[in-house]
Amino acid sequence: MPTDNKRIAGPEDSISYRLFKETSNESVLSKINNLKNNIRSDGRKTNEQRKIFLKCGVVSQAKGSAYFEVDNTKLIVSVYDPREIPKKTDYSLKGELFCIFKYAPFSCPNRRGHQQDAEEKQHSAIMKRALESAVCRHEFPNFQVDVYVLVLENDGSALSGAITAAGIALAQAGIPMYDTITSATLAIQGSTKLLDPTLEEEALCTIATHKSDTETGYDSHGIIVLAILSTHEQISEFYQLGNLNLDTLNESISILMNATKEIVPLVEKCLVDYVNKTFKANGQS
Amino acid sequence: MAKQFKSLHPTKFYRDYLNQDIRPDGRLVSKFRPVIINIGSIATADGSALVRIGKTTVICGIKAELCPPKPEKPNEGFLICNVELPPLCSSKFRPGPPSDLAQITTRFVADLILNSGCINLKDLCIVKEKLVWCLYADIICLDHDGCIIDACLLVLLTALKTVRLPVVQYDAAIDKKTIDASVKKCLNIYNTPVSTTYAMFEDKIITDPTTEEEEISSGLLTVVVKDKELCSIHKPGGSPLSEEKLYECINETVNHADLLITLINTAVSECNDDNKNC
Amino acid sequence: MEVESNVNLSMREVNCKLGMFTRPDGSVFISQGETAVIVGIYGPIEVKPHKILINKASVETHYCPKSGMPGIADKLCESILHNVCEAALASALYPRSSIVIIIQEMQNCGGIIPCAINACCLALLNAGTDMKFLFASASCGLDDEGNFHLDPDDLFLETAAASFIFVFDSIGKGLIASHTSGSFNLAQYQSALELCKKAAEGIFDFYKSTIKKDLKDKI
Repeated sequence: MPTDNKRIAGPEDSISYRLFKETSNESVLSKINNLKNNIRSDGRKTNEQRKIFLKCGVVSQAKGSAYFEVDNTKLIVSVYDPREIPKKTDYSLKGELFCIFKYAPFSCPNRRGHQQDAEEKQHSAIMKRALESAVCRHEFPNFQVDVYVLVLENDGSALSGAITAAGIALAQAGIPMYDTITSATLAIQGSTKLLDPTLEEEALCTIATHKSDTETGYDSHGIIVLAILSTHEQISEFYQLGNLNLDTLNESISILMNATKEIVPLVEKCLVDYVNKTFKANGQS
Repeated sequence: MAKQFKSLHPTKFYRDYLNQDIRPDGRLVSKFRPVIINIGSIATADGSALVRIGKTTVICGIKAELCPPKPEKPNEGFLICNVELPPLCSSKFRPGPPSDLAQITTRFVADLILNSGCINLKDLCIVKEKLVWCLYADIICLDHDGCIIDACLLVLLTALKTVRLPVVQYDAAIDKKTIDASVKKCLNIYNTPVSTTYAMFEDKIITDPTTEEEEISSGLLTVVVKDKELCSIHKPGGSPLSEEKLYECINETVNHADLLITLINTAVSECNDDNKNC
Repeated sequence: MEVESNVNLSMREVNCKLGMFTRPDGSVFISQGETAVIVGIYGPIEVKPHKILINKASVETHYCPKSGMPGIADKLCESILHNVCEAALASALYPRSSIVIIIQEMQNCGGIIPCAINACCLALLNAGTDMKFLFASASCGLDDEGNFHLDPDDLFLETAAASFIFVFDSIGKGLIASHTSGSFNLAQYQSALELCKKAAEGIFDFYKSTIKKDLKDKI
């Protein structure tokens, strides 16, 4: 492994103490069975989202920025002015979005590295796909808009939160957009569909289990992230992980469509509040 | 009109303001910005804090891990602190490896922690030669508006004071580690170094400068004090400074340090009270 | 280079050789005791488009450690060297150009920063670049009993309670840079400053005699 001489490196063989914690008697299987019986550890209904807190204009140096919080998932997004695409020789008619999605080293139960890992790179690519269809890219040809996401604490549904927050940050930055973009996550285990899963639920829903003790086939399980432009009900990104059968899929999409629509008024209120505040501040000065 | 004038003649713009002994943001030349400290906001970290100095925002999360000690220092743990200035916090930084400023700040903060002796690495030892704690303190800047060293030092010290480590039982014969998370211990912090930064602009000294002020200034000065003692006087070049001005800055820092330390202690004691109630 | 008769208050022997390379515009080899550095100056030369400044020259400093890639400790050292040189250079005379300063560490036995700063000043003199003022650096260490040692070596620094590095300008003897480690009180800082200021005056005399000798040899 190449040594990183631009940071202070720690000892090579350090391990998280959480690995040696005495685990509770409740096994993973029983937790999964709980989930299958529609029991969530935080007492929510299966189709209930956690309370969302949104705020824009949090980073003074950025053109647009947003803070997103649901319970313990906290993330911050900032957007900067369009700049010329670096190292580009040919002319591109459409502008580009440049997304960086990063977990802070302390944001997850296990420490993350400073450099982007494969998962973070994939999330960046998903965000880019989701947001590009919401932005009027022909308005800034040959330029790119930087979107930076930093997850301060991860307790599930970080990617969908990042897409929603990035939509607000882009709007605040005055980047021309077709519509507000909102996103939600659904975790599936068997016939149970959990909206806005926590980190533990996300982990449990990526485990394959047998349909019943007698059968050998696997039950459907996985995670779906859906981003939507709500006015015309256009899906801009559909990202699925795991193994799902077709019937579950249709049902899942309708659950997610409803969930994303619930977020839209929050996004609108956040932006309207910001505009009101700016007007008031300008009026006074 | 002011906006255009500022972008065309930034130096003249500031000079006109400073001749009236006031700054564009309405502060007096020697006035500090308000400081806000928030602690324990990150549940996945073993200690965390968020500090705002004016608009400058930094967050620090400390993760504790277990590792064998270095053979040459068998009874000392590790404290690895890194400062990150991601492109998120300012348009001055680009994605990729850490910028020069991030590297310099990292080194400066790490040196200070070592020099001040605010933490004794021997306290992090669990079993000599076998097992020690390694604390990874990651300081991330969320909004860069000047005085990054001050903010980093403040957030790191506050976060260190909120660190709670579980009790570890170690059986050396079979290399078995057992964690008892129900009892958590605080870390001993022996002193609290705090710093303030000054910018030199022509013949004036500007206290607690913003990014804009740092950029037009001809040099910076950071004074670090702990318990009435000096810990570092760091002036990395820039225009020459007379000794009288330097000592004025040192005195001002000593006075301001009391306020900062009270602020840290108030924030940390509130957290301790909460823990007792739980 | 005796500053005072007291043994603890003398600097290590300083030797230097000017203009030993032909390619750079100015170069110097300087050794202070066992510590040695080479500095080469190129400039004013053509500047890379993204570093161009329309009102002054852009000053680039590269600090190369003895072996391997520069780490974060070298970056801190480089930033001090860069800020000192930038303050001293009359860069407004060379707009749209760059001045490149390359510092190669040869051997570090303590006091590499002051040695490198003094080398930079001599190299800039050798290159004939316009400067607003000259600068000289001196360091001193404080032991556990409160005694000062001028120009400490690495053996002393290992056990020192504190160490100080100062850079002064030649005109007003103002403080350009200050870098300290360890903890100390204000009185100790003041006496360290006074001590180093005296030592710096010795270094300014050394610059004078070196340049005089160099010019005499050329004629």
